Amino acid sequence: MRTLTALRNEIRKGLIFAWSERLQILIEMPMFAVFVILLGPLLGQGENLASGRVDWSLNSQTTSAMVLWFTPFIFFYMQVVKMFWRLLGEIQAGTLEQVFLSPLPPWLVAAAGRVAAAFLETLFVAAATYAMVSVFVGIHLHWTAAALVPAFAIMIAAIGLSLIIAGATLVYKRIQIVNDGVLMMVMIFSASALPLIHVPGWWAAASHAFPLTDGVGSLYNVMIANRSVASAWGLGGLVPLFTISTAYLLAGIGAFILGAHVAKNRGTLARY
Amino acid sequence: MSTITLQTRLARAELDKGLRLMWRRRALVVAAAIVYGLTYLGISLFIGGGHLVKDLMVRTLPGLLAVLVASTAAVEGCAGISEEINGGTLEQTRLSPASPQLQMLGRMTALAIEGLAVAAALGVVFVFGAGLDVNPHPEALIPAVLTVLDALGYGLIMTALVVRVASIGAISHVGTMAIMAFGGTLVPISVFPHGMQIFARFIPTTQGVESINALVAGRGLAATWSDGTLPWLLVHTAALLAAGFSLYAINIRHAHREGGLRAR
Repeated sequence: MRTLTALRNEIRKGLIFAWSERLQILIEMPMFAVFVILLGPLLGQGENLASGRVDWSLNSQTTSAMVLWFTPFIFFYMQVVKMFWRLLGEIQAGTLEQVFLSPLPPWLVAAAGRVAAAFLETLFVAAATYAMVSVFVGIHLHWTAAALVPAFAIMIAAIGLSLIIAGATLVYKRIQIVNDGVLMMVMIFSASALPLIHVPGWWAAASHAFPLTDGVGSLYNVMIANRSVASAWGLGGLVPLFTISTAYLLAGIGAFILGAHVAKNRGTLARY
Repeated sequence: MSTITLQTRLARAELDKGLRLMWRRRALVVAAAIVYGLTYLGISLFIGGGHLVKDLMVRTLPGLLAVLVASTAAVEGCAGISEEINGGTLEQTRLSPASPQLQMLGRMTALAIEGLAVAAALGVVFVFGAGLDVNPHPEALIPAVLTVLDALGYGLIMTALVVRVASIGAISHVGTMAIMAFGGTLVPISVFPHGMQIFARFIPTTQGVESINALVAGRGLAATWSDGTLPWLLVHTAALLAAGFSLYAINIRHAHREGGLRAR
């Protein structure tokens, strides 16, 4: 009972923080739509661009795949980036040590305080992105409850990655540039799950190690290719999907515990 | 001690501090360089449809280098001030005889060195690693210097806003993304539709990247002056630097008055 109350309080605190950052969300909102609209006509056009020719029209099929690709990335962004900034703020203000007085494990306090807020923020920003892109070109997605399966796995993987970054933050503190770069790589490599461009073999192979690739592949299977979500193997199959997500979650918990241990031993949990 | 000597010494003290801090987190600077390099490689493969289009990369590489300087100035500048606000040490800086602008000059110089070091390393890696056929032209140094100053002006404005605006993290993210999208890192600005080109000219570093590309392509300095690219870059840079220094001084004064120099 005490655990549930503590958990509920952390979620509530996270939502209050999210509400206080509503202006920030509004500022970030157009960023994703602009990227979809801008990147759509440029994919695979390198040779044409080098010779100065480019057709700036948007293709419905490509754009639908890009919206599908960006939506889970928005969740990653909201979970990872905002958790990092909040944690860094607590370290700098000296309030992080108080987290260790909670009956909950510190990693759970950090993760639970963000995940519900990140989910609601993603719904809002993804809906806005969908609406803005729809003005320019039709988006065709097959809406089905089966998409909740990859969505759940994506959330688990995002929590894991955010905890890995959080663990590194406890030790190295100001790692925002690395944080941003890691997210860009997660986004770029996950593109290999979509038929947007032909990627080299090494890229396709490496992309499976990234937390978003199989999630995006599964979402594509369900919402665009009209395939079953239940296939076990292949890109977006249930086995790789949940193996990667669970591995990231476990790695995240481990990294957070390790980071907290190092910071506590150095006495730098709440100071530099 | 003359005023000029004192001011120089004060600015140099800030520069020394910035460089010492950079050296302390050198592992992160190297990690950031690797991550940016991989991101650029990913974007290039993306746009090239799975392979590198070297002719295109020759024209987008200056954009990447400009983003690196701008992003280092904005992200590290914001993080430094926000850390001092949260840690309560920004108030102590006001005990110094140096003006806020002078302190910021020292900090920004250190960030410029950090950004340029990363940019130079990545430039060398891509030119020699990917075998890009770049014809370095001495005249290109003029827009290159102005581009760095333009990027620092952008970083300065973002840093100045930290003192006043709580949502600066989001604003600087959107700003850096805009520089990446419209500043010539994805594609040369010249391939944008006309309306988008006009918009892009207001984005920091865009004009500089366009001037550098023109000079590397063999067009002379006179041509970039007569087509308006270089004059616009000069005006843009001067405006951003002036706005940045003024905004920082105004915001520090405001925070001093309202008690905003410590955590809100």
